[in-house]
Amino acid sequence: MYGMGIKDVVREFLRFRGGIVGIFLLLIIVGMALGAPLISDEEAGNRWYDLEYWVEKDLPKGVPPAWVGVFEGRSYSVTERFPGQIPETNRFILRTNITYNMKYDVPPSDVVIRVRIAEEANISATTTYFVRLNVYRPDGTVIERVLDLETVNRDLKISLKSEDRSRNAIISFMKDFDEEGYERIINQGLTEVIDVIYILFSQTGEGALLERTEPLKGIYTFELEIIRTDINLELDSLELLAMGAAHGVFGTDTNGRDIFVGIVWGARVALILGLIVAIVSVLIGVLYGTVSAYLGGWVDEILQRIQEFAISIPLLPLLLILAFYFKPTIWNLILLLIVFSWPGPVKTIRSMALQIREQLYITAAKAVGASTGRIVLRYIFPQILPYTFALVAFAVPGAILTEAGVSFLLGAQGVLEITWGRILSDAQDASAVLTGMWWWVLPPGFMIAISGLAFVLIGTALDRVLNPRLLR
Amino acid sequence: MALVRYLAFRVVNALVILFFVLLITAVMMNQYLEDQIRAEIRERIAQEVYRNPRYATYTPEEKDRLAANLTLRYEQIYGLDQPYVVRVLYRTVDAMMFDFGNALVLKSSTGSPVVSDIIIEAIPRTVLLFTTGTIITIVVGILLGIKAATRVGSFLDRAISTFAMFTYSLPMWWVGMIFIFYFAILLKIFPSGGMVSIPPPEDPVAYAMDVLYHLTLPLIVFVFVNFGGWSYATRSIVLNVLTEDFVNTARAKGVPERRILYGHVLRTASPPIVTSTTLAILGSIGGAIITEAVFNWPGLGRLFYQAILNGDMPVVIGLTYISTFLYVFAILALDFIYALLDPRIKVGFGGGR
Repeated sequence: MYGMGIKDVVREFLRFRGGIVGIFLLLIIVGMALGAPLISDEEAGNRWYDLEYWVEKDLPKGVPPAWVGVFEGRSYSVTERFPGQIPETNRFILRTNITYNMKYDVPPSDVVIRVRIAEEANISATTTYFVRLNVYRPDGTVIERVLDLETVNRDLKISLKSEDRSRNAIISFMKDFDEEGYERIINQGLTEVIDVIYILFSQTGEGALLERTEPLKGIYTFELEIIRTDINLELDSLELLAMGAAHGVFGTDTNGRDIFVGIVWGARVALILGLIVAIVSVLIGVLYGTVSAYLGGWVDEILQRIQEFAISIPLLPLLLILAFYFKPTIWNLILLLIVFSWPGPVKTIRSMALQIREQLYITAAKAVGASTGRIVLRYIFPQILPYTFALVAFAVPGAILTEAGVSFLLGAQGVLEITWGRILSDAQDASAVLTGMWWWVLPPGFMIAISGLAFVLIGTALDRVLNPRLLR
Repeated sequence: MALVRYLAFRVVNALVILFFVLLITAVMMNQYLEDQIRAEIRERIAQEVYRNPRYATYTPEEKDRLAANLTLRYEQIYGLDQPYVVRVLYRTVDAMMFDFGNALVLKSSTGSPVVSDIIIEAIPRTVLLFTTGTIITIVVGILLGIKAATRVGSFLDRAISTFAMFTYSLPMWWVGMIFIFYFAILLKIFPSGGMVSIPPPEDPVAYAMDVLYHLTLPLIVFVFVNFGGWSYATRSIVLNVLTEDFVNTARAKGVPERRILYGHVLRTASPPIVTSTTLAILGSIGGAIITEAVFNWPGLGRLFYQAILNGDMPVVIGLTYISTFLYVFAILALDFIYALLDPRIKVGFGGGR
């Protein structure tokens, strides 16, 4: 509908429910992109790929979102820190008891012991100390020597879930109650994979090793002994961390990263890349098609051959090949996507421009002596412009999808920014699907789909409002 | 005569396009490919000269001289002594003739390193999944689209439009991941990937059933993601034709609605549908890189992924050629079909004047 004012367009647009939903979804994503530093930690977003930073954050690894408990009707344990009392003594053995009230339906995902040696301790670099841990369970049973190791490190952080000693200690504790399960573990070589922390906090009995018996609620006492070999070795702190079984809005990945942070920051790349690629490539394509149609003759012929060539290049393979040469920053990727996306709208635009070219006012403009540039830009282009908005909206999802695909395939070789495709790539590398970590796979793909959907809805509504008659 | 000239022109056009796409691929991968060949030559010379007990008595200078001579000879064999332009052109022309040389890393299941063997082996697997999927999608999509067009505003119509919009921006490979999680991991009714069980069944019938079992889930994903768009497109095309004057005329004449739809409307609506169908079916042979990677389906797409991961450039060139070839061939086929069907199409410069 040529000649509509902006107000008319807006009023017409608002009559389409789909368009309103699209605007609403778009606002959510724009809000995420702009508000990323506010709704999530800015430093966490900047250091997403710095895994050591995430280790320091002490988030539980590979746990579901905090709200799953509500739907399952079970309480998930949350992350809790227990500082241990450091006894004032001049003995070699420093002993402290840390009590933990396990009152949850889902026990912690890990228990971490952290020892820090005082900075000012006057000891040689090779001075060792021993760490021992006994666990007194609520049912009166005791797991002895869950830890028993010697270390030269000044500071120590041990995860009972991944430490061999504690794994074996817990398995052999439960062996007495579940001999059949123990045999199966040995025969099937499962010692490395079973969840020992769950066993640590579960009731004794048949099937405790493999079938997961009920958790054993109550007070657990962790008896921690630091045995020093040099009396000058002073402790700065002792700490026990019960890692939660659920965390945050979207849970965490196996590196202990908060997936919510990744999702929020990923909106930036998706929006910037999607919009820039769509706008620039559609504009190039529209101008190209218009010029080609207006000039006609052999120029048109050559321009059409070039377009056919450009559109025949298989995009995704080429992007992957190019990744060998360019470290694909987001700007490189945007440039490449534009180079390969502009031919898309050319043919349609050209056929529209061919019809406009034959109209009387163009002939009149020519007769008055208007230049080619003026005719193309001032007389033909404005006629096509409304349709361009819809084209841009429809081009955004394609760009976002391609970026996601490239990031998914390239993984660590891909762009340096946080992208939803890269999160999915990490999930795939960690076999998140096969191990059931749905919270790592669903949100990124859902966001890709939602942001695409927003633009499709807006595009469809725009199309209905603005589509010039000549396309019908 | 004009028709023959037109078709000849289109064929030449297609060949030129193919040549340029290959040339670009060859130019881009030349550096990497030649680095690999040079590394291989160095390794071979280390084997043959420096670590060869036969030359143990040679002085280091003599060894170096021998190595330099051998290097020159190998470089001649691989054509590395030719100027850059010649090297790239040779590689392009060879590829045009389907001679992609030997793969650097990958091998076919029979152990052949010839790139054509590796590619030919993967084609039927991709066809089995994606071409089957495309055909099912098209049939379901077109039927639903026609139904929707004849019942504008009905529940079916609105459901299809909504569904099409939703699936338009859905990554197929992500849907694959979700379906694997739900149907293979949670419900355990389908395998989580691959084309056959390991080890594969010996009996041919059992083998076929096993492939079918592995095929079902990716096929469902493919149809699920794609049929909405087909229905919506068909609906729009048919709806456009339904508003034409001749349909009103036919209605006024009292032609039964069924005959109007199948006799008049669909005949008019078919050209764009034929175009998309041809493009889709030929395009499906190229496979989908990420979806095959997710489903671990050993077709062309996964082959491309592995070739990129291993830096196996001859295979990459071969696959790029195949997918471009299919696309250009599809366009050419359409040109032929339309040229035969539509007498108005004329050849020559200044088309569209």
